[in-house]
Amino acid sequence: MEKNILTSPVTGDSCIHVKHKSGLDIYICEMPGFSSVEALFGTKYGSVNTMFRMRDDKDYTTVPEGIAHFLEHKLFENEDCDVFELYAKTGACGNAFTSFDKTCYLFSCSKNYQESLKILLDFVQKPYFTKESVDKEQGIIGQEIKMTNDNPEWRVFFNMLRCMYHNHPVKIDIAGTVESIAEIDADLLYKCYYTFYNLNNMVLSVAGNITADEVLAICDECLKPCEDKGLESVFPDEPETIVQSEIYEKQEVGTPIFHIGYKCRPASGEERLRKSMAASVASSLLTDASSEMFRRLLIEGTINSSFGSEVFVGDGFFSVIFSGESADPEKVRDSLCEEVDRIVREGISEKDFQRIRKSAYGLMVRDLNNVESVANLMINSHMEGVSPYDAVNVLSEMKCSDVYEFIRSELCRDRLVLSVIEGTDK
Amino acid sequence: MNCSRKEIAANVGFSTIIDPKFKTASLTLRFITKLDSRTAAPNSLGVGTLSASNSRLTTLARLNERLSSLYGAALSTFTRKRGDVQILGLTASWITRRYAFDGENVDSEMLAIIRDCLFAPNVKDGEFDAESFAITKKDLLDRIDSELNNKRGYALSRAAEIAFRGEPAEFSCYGTKEAAAAVTSAEAYEAYKELIRTSRIEIFYIAPEENPEAEEMLRSCISELDRQPQDCVFRSKSPVREKVEEVSDKFDVLQCKMVMNFKSDSDDMAAMKLLSTIFGETPVSKLFMNVREKLSLCYYCACRTVASKGALMVDIGVEHANIDKARDEILRQLDEIRNGNITDEELQSAMMSLDNALTQIGDTPSSYSGWYFERLCDGKMVTPMEQLELYKNVTKERIIEAAGTLTLDSVYLMLSKEADK
Repeated sequence: MEKNILTSPVTGDSCIHVKHKSGLDIYICEMPGFSSVEALFGTKYGSVNTMFRMRDDKDYTTVPEGIAHFLEHKLFENEDCDVFELYAKTGACGNAFTSFDKTCYLFSCSKNYQESLKILLDFVQKPYFTKESVDKEQGIIGQEIKMTNDNPEWRVFFNMLRCMYHNHPVKIDIAGTVESIAEIDADLLYKCYYTFYNLNNMVLSVAGNITADEVLAICDECLKPCEDKGLESVFPDEPETIVQSEIYEKQEVGTPIFHIGYKCRPASGEERLRKSMAASVASSLLTDASSEMFRRLLIEGTINSSFGSEVFVGDGFFSVIFSGESADPEKVRDSLCEEVDRIVREGISEKDFQRIRKSAYGLMVRDLNNVESVANLMINSHMEGVSPYDAVNVLSEMKCSDVYEFIRSELCRDRLVLSVIEGTDK
Repeated sequence: MNCSRKEIAANVGFSTIIDPKFKTASLTLRFITKLDSRTAAPNSLGVGTLSASNSRLTTLARLNERLSSLYGAALSTFTRKRGDVQILGLTASWITRRYAFDGENVDSEMLAIIRDCLFAPNVKDGEFDAESFAITKKDLLDRIDSELNNKRGYALSRAAEIAFRGEPAEFSCYGTKEAAAAVTSAEAYEAYKELIRTSRIEIFYIAPEENPEAEEMLRSCISELDRQPQDCVFRSKSPVREKVEEVSDKFDVLQCKMVMNFKSDSDDMAAMKLLSTIFGETPVSKLFMNVREKLSLCYYCACRTVASKGALMVDIGVEHANIDKARDEILRQLDEIRNGNITDEELQSAMMSLDNALTQIGDTPSSYSGWYFERLCDGKMVTPMEQLELYKNVTKERIIEAAGTLTLDSVYLMLSKEADK
């Protein structure tokens, strides 16, 4: 096994990447002086992977919405005990999450990390599903779905995605619906497990108070070699157009909230990273508190300081989202469009670009200051097909013209969606 | 790690934590004062306006432009509640000179901005700059309104309002919407002047290396103030009602929320923390294992201690039809503890969980600052490891005794209008 040392030429930080003989990609970052350890064991399997096949399969399998998240819940139960009971003996704090394109199992601890790592590697490789345990979980996840449906931030985001995407499964709720999870049974869970929880489709990321040799010795002991079965996830064709430009929903909220999303063309690998970084600098320029638009909207009281932006990217989807609270979200949208038009017409000031780029660099350095952030950076970068420090390098090479080109070609008015949650009294 | 605290003026503490592993430096200054419904909103607006501009960077745009050119340095103000006390402050963090492209002195630049925000605010004719104040006021009014957007948080706030009625802790740290709306710029500035004159002040500077400039700057600015600090009471146990009070509100929600407030007259804080951990703070706690895992009644059911008020709160998101069942099971699990049904494994895992959490303190600047600030409020300056020893000395008997002192005081229910149909 070759240890590949990855180093950031900008900050001097480094980590180790190993392609383990079992098929698993492993990232390790020793962080002297820190007490804690953060470990994530993840698979490239999320809510968008609803249709797939293996190399030897003739047909594609389609599964119910929310099954990746359901599987995440159920993997915590072993044949003889609950995984949390095992972690309780080591003191580690265990958890898991399912997103659009990944499922990760994690723990953080400050002692006995070796034992906790063995627990993590063991239970994720040992599925055990029964009819009884699947039935029991329906009630718990049903409550989780209701809880998230009462969350206006969640609703405003998914309403926006539903208006943006015609066919891509990014528009479906990660946990599915009460109806869709009722279709899930133990056989389907096993099918998904053996398809996506193949070590060739997975990655382990460990950072903090550890030694690489110890982590690798535990991996040698616990990982079961996997044959790469040629997993293929497919997504339906997605046009560049949006479904509809506005959506309004009434909910019990104290202040109306909005999401304004630009649907952009998707990308993958290094191109996705470059495009994401350009999008991130572009959205910072637009929402920057020193911009004329921001200042005007703030002084008028149309927005408050919750106004911000994010770049939302994954397999087959890419969007730039502006969000906040406002009693007049249409005005925010129109102002944003005018500001985009102005930038396309007048260009970006080199001084502003350099300032925002410097700010983005500072945020990256801050992330390297934190065990949890480093572990997440390593796993996320791998899943996006790049190296952990590539973002810093891309940022240092970025030119003002890259950002201008992104704004000009991707922030198009005809691919813009406004989603609003307004109070029930309106 | 090197940690020290000194008084740099009457009731002004300056704590320095030097830890070479960090890439950032941070400074947090907290004003500590009694929570009062008349001063909560003006105080919040007075401190809040400090991060909207200062006398040199006279607009939010100019201030933010400067912060972003200093590698995205963060500067913000905050208001929160701790029992009967209002804590307000300003916090800033920035990457150190070592990581600046051309060795820019980010530390000095940031200390100057902090100095100006705190001691040379953007004030003219005895009031805050109108634009800065208007932005801050709009933010505060929206924040008060948007509390309802987070249903779980809203339910917990309402439950505290009911449980601590008649005590300062019943009030929101932001004040009411009406009170906030009525505050003028001049009143907010007066409130800030009063705070800086009378409140207890605690400052934390956390960085990879010593920088005497931070202490010198603060010492010099504070020495010019006419300080007349007043004491604060950090812990006052809330009296228990004779009869359990139940309050409910109806909303357009799919899931109901229930918060059960228990109160205790026990002073055995270590035993109470272990009791809370065993009862409902971890995924192997009695509430998680029984209310969620065994009965499938919820996605979350957890508890937390409110040590400053001698209270313990349990909260759950639950189906309307299952509210009584959940309440019965929560009470049954507390009875289990009262009756001594605590296994060695439960005690051991609670201890391991606390050990894990305490050992991690120091891995982020905010965890250092949070830990030592809380200890100052408790009046017991112990390290995380000394606290762990206190927990290790807790016996099962002390936990049972602490559980015996808990009395159900009030219940808050957020009900779904749908359930009536």
